[in-house]
Order: sequence, then C-alpha cells, then structure tokens
Amino acid sequence: MERPANAICSVGAGAGFAGDRIDPALDLVRSGLIDTIALECLAERTLVPAIKARADNPRAGFDPRWKRRLGPLLPLAAQYGCRVVSNLGAANPLAAAHAISGLCQALRLPPQKVAALVGDDVMGLQDRIQWAKPWQGQLIGAHAYLGSERMAQALAQGAQVVVTGRVADSALFAAPARSGLQASPHALAGALTVGHLLECGGQLTGGNYEPIGGADKPPPLSAEQYARLGYPLAHVYADGTADILVAPGAPGLVDALTCTLQLLYEVHDPAHYITPDLIVDFSNIQFEVTGPQSVRMHGARGKGVPPMLKVAGFVEQPGVLADVEIGFAGEGAVARARCAADVLRLRLDALPAHACQIDWVGLDSVLRGCARQSASPPAELRVHISAACDDAATAQWVEDEVYALTLSGPAGGCSVRSEKRPRLAVVDGLIDRQSVPTELVWGQA
Amino acid sequence: MRVGDIASGRSGDKGDTLDLSLVACDGKHYDLLRQYLTTERVRAITAPCFDSPVLRYEVPGLKALKFVFPQALPGGVYASMHAGLHWQKAAIWLLLDHRMPHLTGEHHAAVG
Repeated sequence: MERPANAICSVGAGAGFAGDRIDPALDLVRSGLIDTIALECLAERTLVPAIKARADNPRAGFDPRWKRRLGPLLPLAAQYGCRVVSNLGAANPLAAAHAISGLCQALRLPPQKVAALVGDDVMGLQDRIQWAKPWQGQLIGAHAYLGSERMAQALAQGAQVVVTGRVADSALFAAPARSGLQASPHALAGALTVGHLLECGGQLTGGNYEPIGGADKPPPLSAEQYARLGYPLAHVYADGTADILVAPGAPGLVDALTCTLQLLYEVHDPAHYITPDLIVDFSNIQFEVTGPQSVRMHGARGKGVPPMLKVAGFVEQPGVLADVEIGFAGEGAVARARCAADVLRLRLDALPAHACQIDWVGLDSVLRGCARQSASPPAELRVHISAACDDAATAQWVEDEVYALTLSGPAGGCSVRSEKRPRLAVVDGLIDRQSVPTELVWGQA
Repeated sequence: MRVGDIASGRSGDKGDTLDLSLVACDGKHYDLLRQYLTTERVRAITAPCFDSPVLRYEVPGLKALKFVFPQALPGGVYASMHAGLHWQKAAIWLLLDHRMPHLTGEHHAAVG
C-alpha cells in the first residue's frame, strides 16, 4: 500500500483521549503512509487537573502521560519524517514544548523544532466572555477553542512537533492539510470533517460500535481484534475529499456506517457544525466504500467563519459528591440489596431528597427507569448511592453509613467502594475571536 | 420491532447536553423511524431516565436522525449523580432497546 501521489497530506489519529493506547500511533507511523500524526489528548474536563497542577508549579500543567506517549513516538517520527501535532499541552503548552525539546535532546534526536500555540487561556479576558447561563461557585479556568490556522503556520515554518492547549479537536487534524487545500471554503470544510472523523481514534475503526441488530450477535470484532484495534488515517486531497482507512494490517472496521456514526458523534445540528475555523454542513456528505477497510468521503460544505469562539469554563462549587457502593451476592441477593437501599434511605433521611440518588448496579444504575429488567435476577449486584454533600464531613458520613450496613444491615454486605469527588461544573460561553490574541512560541531544551 | 434491529446508534455529550444519533439500515426504515420517533415520543421514551426537552435533526442523505437533549446532564460529567463517570456512553440503548408497536398496512409494506 502506498500514499496516493495526489494527496496533499496524510494524517493519522494516534490517540483519542489523554489515556488512550500508546501503540496504535507507533503502528501508524511505521506504516510509512502518513506525514503527520495527531494526538487528541484533552477532553473537556481533562483541563481541570492541569489547571490545578500549573497553579502549584508554573512548569507543570500539561499531560502527565506525555513522556510515556512521546518517548517511543518521537524517535520513530523523526526516522519516518512524520510530524506530531497534539493538544497534550493542556493548561501549559509552552512548558510542554520546552519539556519535549528537552526529551528530544535526551533521546539524541537530530534538532527538532517544537512549536507551542498559546492564547487559549482566556481567564484574563473574563469581562469579554458571554456565558450561556448564570452559574454559581468559583471559576477556576476558562479556555477558548482555537482553530487550525496557527498550527498550520507552525508546520509551514518547519515545526516537527506542534503542541497546544485547548483547540478544536478537528483543528488538530485539519492543520496539516491547510497549506495544500484549494481556496474554497468547501475544501477546508472537508479537511475539518476529516478531523472530526479522526479525533476519537479507534471509535472510527470499530471501537464503541454497535452494528444493526447487534443485540442478538456477538460483538463485531473478537477480543483479540479489539486488543489490537488499528487506528485511522486519512489521505486528504486538495478539494477536501479524503480516503479514510485503518492502519494497514491491523484489525478494524471502516465502512459507511462506522463513518456516519462518527460523523454525527457529539454534533448537534448536522447542517451547522460550528468549529473555530468554519461552520460545516454535513448534510450532503457521502461515504463511498472503496475497499474492505477504506471509504472515500466527499460533500462537506463550508458555511462561513463564526464570529465568536466557544469558551469552556470550569466552576468549582462548594461541597463534595460522595459516590459509594456496597455489594451483595448469593441466593436472595436482590432482596437483601433492595432492603439495604431502604435502610440507607432511612439512615440518610437528613439529606435533601434531590441531593441523593440510590439505585442498584446490575439492575438500573445506568439507564434508571428505562433499564430493561430480565426474568432472571442477577446473581450479584451492588447498591449505589450518590450524594451531593455540603462539605467533606457529610460525604464521610454517607460513606460511613454504607459501611455500617456490613455489621448492621441485611446479611453479606461486602466489597464497599467509595469515591469522593469535588463538585465541578463545566460552563459554556462565547468570546469575540478578535479579542483572543494567539501566538507561536518555540520550545527550548 | 426493536429500534436497534433496524438502526445503529451512538451517544455523546457536551457539557449539560446529551446527543443521540441513529442511523437506519436503509431508506425505508429511515422513513419509518422518522415518522415514529417524534420529539414527543422520544421525550416520553427517555423520561424515566432524565427530564430534558429534545431537539430533532433529520439527515436523509445519511439515513440518520439526531436527537439533542440540552438538559439531560445537568452540570456536566463531574456533577453526575450516576455511579461512576460517563453513564451517558450507554444512553443510546434508551432508543436502541425501544420496541416499536406492531406495524400494519403501509408500514408493513415499507418494512418488507
């Protein structure tokens, strides 16, 4: 398999979230088919621990897994002439760029140009942010979603690595295509569509995929195939059409249905998908199957550049969320678990009803009242309680009351698991793109 | 007929908003789902799990329907009162597991 001569860029998806597998990116680079590997490592909420880490240490605040991911990747990327683009800079892309430059030196690689894109942190521009709705609590961070233009500039200036904080995920993958695209907005729309398709890694190639009629069949891939799932790559053409494939030789499913599901994933109005670079209309997109693991995508339309950038704000609210479970097993487990839930309701009567959710893991803890109950009850199950508590002491009391069931509740309460989480809300806002200055800064070892 | 026998789907989230995508196996079944899964009906189907208005988008070219629930995940992922994080990864089964009533006449012909 070879790279098509008329492709303007060939980009691989090496990660779809901060904790994603390391090896799929290495396989993609080794294929020799791609000139850029993009790593999406920054979910909406992933910024929160990074913001806190940066507050404690000005040289921290980027993905703590960076070395595990880039240590094996950078030497291969240098060997194959493959550029790396990632948002693993999180809350501190400049510190990440310096650290990556240092790693390149430690790995004895030829000198690498590492660019940081800075400017997404808009905490200092709070008076310019229009929040979608009022919120209560303390704002601990606010980051605007930046587009692909600056990243494309960095690549044009010879960057081998581009590291960012908050950018639109699709922009990470569109950036390497920008310099070769036709001037038409529809061409850019195509590149952004490729980005949206690739941004979740294995979710495009058969991961998290329920086929039609899947309830009566085994999963569409075997355990061995899921364990070695190939991640996607795209050959992008100047008009914004693209071939979508799975890493050669790796297991994976790429067809019109898997592509359509990923196209619509986390999109609201499919005719009006807002990215920082362009509003994209997916209505006329078509996926044409071109091989057993390859699809040609075309038909994306651009609908103009949005005047505003989206802002994600993180608001810490007072209190703690207690999330506690206790297990029951053996014959009669369901009746004992139901009784244990009633005991908890009586013991925790002082908590406001709206601040407390009690259900059964194994029966209804996910889909609640919509869960379909089977005729045969589960052999083992867990009572779960989540309680929004005003303070840490109340959360501890909730955990203690669950533990007390092991001595003073129905028989066999076991395997208590407890998590206490800060109460944190993600709030949406908008900011005028003209008021968000961005720049490229080069990393120094 | 189970929705998941004629369509595939996936759930996603952004902040407070849950989104569910359905992609039908063919044009006839897309028309059937489009007629059956009105916003009122989808709100009734999902009501035992969460309370939110629902917006619906049609994408006939991809045989797809998109349902967006702006208030299904109040406060976002961290504020969830469900066990653990990300219950919504399974929310598409709210629709996939729904049984549509037996079809008659024209619908039968449509489904073949």
